[in-house]
Amino acid sequence: MNTTRPSYLDEQIASVKDKGFLAYRTGELPTWCPGCGYFGITDAIYRACLELGLNNEDICAVSGIGCAGRFPVFMNVYGFHTLHGRSVPVASGVKLAREDLTVFAVAGDGDALGIGGGHLPHVARRNIDITLFLFDNSIYGLTKGQSSATTLYGQKTSSHPGGNPDSPVNPVKLALAYGASFVARGFAGEPEGLKHIIKKAIVHKGFSFVHITSPCVTFDKLNFTWKNLKENHSPIDENLHDVKDMEAAMRMAEHERFKLGVFYHDSKRLSYHDNLRELALKGA
Amino acid sequence: MSDMDLVVEICGSAGEGTISAGEILSRFMSEEGYDIMSFDSYPAEIRGFGKCVAHTRVGRGEVLTPGKYSDVLIALNDIHAIGQLPVLKEKGILIYDNKPPKYHLEDQSVVGWLEPGMIPYGIPLTELSIKASGNSKARNMVALGAFSALFGIDKTSFIESVKRRYGKKKQDIIDSNVNSFLEGYTWTLEHVRKIDPFRFDGTGAAVKRDQLIINGNEATAMGALAAGLHLYAGYPITPATKIMEIMSKELPKKGGIFLQTEDEISSIAHVIGAGYAGKRAMTGTSGPGFCLMSEFTGLAVMAEVPAVIVDSQRGGPSTGMPTKHEQSDLNIALNGGSGDCPRVVIAPTQVDECYQAAVLALYIAEKYQTLVILLLDFFLSNSIKNMDHPSPPDPKYLNTHVLPDDGDLPDFKRYKITDNGISPRTIPGKTGGMFFATGLEHDERGKPVYDTKSHTLMTEKRHRKHAGIAAEMIAPHITGCEGAVDIGVVSWGSSAGAAREAVAHATAKGIKAACFSTQFISPFPEQALRDFSKRCKKILVPEMNYSGQFANMIARYMERPMERLNMVTGLPMASEDILKKIEEIA
Repeated sequence: MNTTRPSYLDEQIASVKDKGFLAYRTGELPTWCPGCGYFGITDAIYRACLELGLNNEDICAVSGIGCAGRFPVFMNVYGFHTLHGRSVPVASGVKLAREDLTVFAVAGDGDALGIGGGHLPHVARRNIDITLFLFDNSIYGLTKGQSSATTLYGQKTSSHPGGNPDSPVNPVKLALAYGASFVARGFAGEPEGLKHIIKKAIVHKGFSFVHITSPCVTFDKLNFTWKNLKENHSPIDENLHDVKDMEAAMRMAEHERFKLGVFYHDSKRLSYHDNLRELALKGA
Repeated sequence: MSDMDLVVEICGSAGEGTISAGEILSRFMSEEGYDIMSFDSYPAEIRGFGKCVAHTRVGRGEVLTPGKYSDVLIALNDIHAIGQLPVLKEKGILIYDNKPPKYHLEDQSVVGWLEPGMIPYGIPLTELSIKASGNSKARNMVALGAFSALFGIDKTSFIESVKRRYGKKKQDIIDSNVNSFLEGYTWTLEHVRKIDPFRFDGTGAAVKRDQLIINGNEATAMGALAAGLHLYAGYPITPATKIMEIMSKELPKKGGIFLQTEDEISSIAHVIGAGYAGKRAMTGTSGPGFCLMSEFTGLAVMAEVPAVIVDSQRGGPSTGMPTKHEQSDLNIALNGGSGDCPRVVIAPTQVDECYQAAVLALYIAEKYQTLVILLLDFFLSNSIKNMDHPSPPDPKYLNTHVLPDDGDLPDFKRYKITDNGISPRTIPGKTGGMFFATGLEHDERGKPVYDTKSHTLMTEKRHRKHAGIAAEMIAPHITGCEGAVDIGVVSWGSSAGAAREAVAHATAKGIKAACFSTQFISPFPEQALRDFSKRCKKILVPEMNYSGQFANMIARYMERPMERLNMVTGLPMASEDILKKIEEIA
């Protein structure tokens, strides 16, 4: 009996291996639902790390709780799956203790905008050199479909079967208002564009906020679906938008909820560590 | 009297130099070889004319408590001082401002409230201060001059001590203080007839003793810094704020990081992040902040990340009494948070013990990869004691990571089941040592699993660490009579000093008594307590909380009937109260 796999599969595996980003994968099979947008995000993060030439052992990925919280299980780096909403302050602690590490904070919309929303302004104003990946599927997926801070007004969810009475927050506008020095939005269905954004975010020396929209294929069949997101998302025209212009970024964040790309980038602002050194020099 | 034991209270209004006069006196007496303990009280509100009391006990032997009653009351403000008369002993001494008649409204002169038998010494504090320094601000120094003249203190030594304290200040400030002191000293010698028996004989020694005069917060911070602390994250809260302020100043000098966070959740999150990254980290708080940290205490234990929390207890529950003393966070320190969560709880009993306790806390947290709670309290945090300059920690307490062999790294089992519960860990940056840490139950590789066997094995492993820690704990402190006794006092935290003192007094009165106290609450010296209780007819457990949290905890180790002494006065435990109870039940 012929049990060999079709030859095209081996070719595919070989070509993927050659590309090298499998080195960032662990042996664990992701627990996300088939069709979940988080596969695309994870892929973009692997590729960005590969292209930046980051060593696995020099990366620390800190996550919270929820579907997004499982991310470090699948990435072969120093991973820390912490508490609901607390990936940002723990990641900040890692970075403050070890400036040499590249530190990612991974959070879902419930994590970063719900229970842990209070930490955002502070990591932003301190400008701690970490990158926050906000996996936003506008729903509490792991607890089976309750409304989150980015669920649309009127959307029917398991916690609001009659329609969500709360209005959603605008994550990019929040990050800008809090003073994040790098603010961008990507989409799980555009891994190539997302990869470029992530590379810029990691290289940026200061707090980087990357809002990543992604469908929840299991608990949201009407609103943030693959189809709707693909139709609505469009890239920021880099020739028309000046990433140093805060007011333009704010206007765009307010009016263009589906624009993809870098909204704001202040590369001059000192990171927290640089600030400490600067103040020490002044004091000396 | 050569075996001097004197409690002095200086009472004034905020801004009158009350507390600094207490400091000058404490420092001087320590330099002269006396033991001191101070416990000041001042208004919670920063502004205004609130009452300040600098309370200092000076003794030849070991001073264990600040003393409940005073021998000498120095009144810089009559109205406030009237309120301190109830704690002046029956034959106590009052030094007061002998102002011109009609200066006071009726009934507002402190001397008018003295009981028969008390001794008043009227000194024209205001007049002499104006004469010596041009204004009335130096009344505190005039009063110290009068005090020195009355109690036979060596004038020259005292002035030298004042000069050392004000060394960096302007010359005119030093002169004004010294002149005011001398004015009070000379006037008192010339005009006052001494009728009390107290006299310090030992001052004026050629060689001065060089000691630290510090409180528990300072000793804790010093210990942590000496133990190689790298990161301190904190949020302001009484009575732990002082630790944070010291760290803010001292940590950067040592290349460390200080962070004032947005809340206590963020503080402990930063500590655990730094612990995961391989650095020694600590936070300090009080009850309300400690409540916020509860969820993270579980993560530290579950993910096996070193973390140290200092909880300086205050009156509770909720916001409670921020500037009052209590020992009522023991339950939450031992049991706060969800699940079976073994943690280490160390409660030093004296200021000097805070230093070593902080060193041990950071050492145990790092070596055993777990949570250590250092339980201070309002009294310990704020009481000031003389102590020898500590020697640097033994190197065995520094850099104690348990690292894996490189041969173990392929297929690295970060949470390997071991006999002592400690699994070798890699530090981020180590090639090939990547692992996944989680607050979920996990297998040896860190992968989340929920099966019966894994949870059982991992729970047992986390609890097994305590056997190793128990082998390294500070032995209990046992004082009093040896052999069979009528009363055994079992105490913890800052109440232990009062317990030891009460037992000493009881023994002197012919009651056979002994005292047992321990700094380690978890793990607990079970066998030592069982053995101790067997030689007592009755056990007494005094503590500053209502429900008897410590008594409830140790009841299971008791081989004898147990009596409790629970108080929620907001004040430190007094040996007088314990002694009274001992006499009642003996």
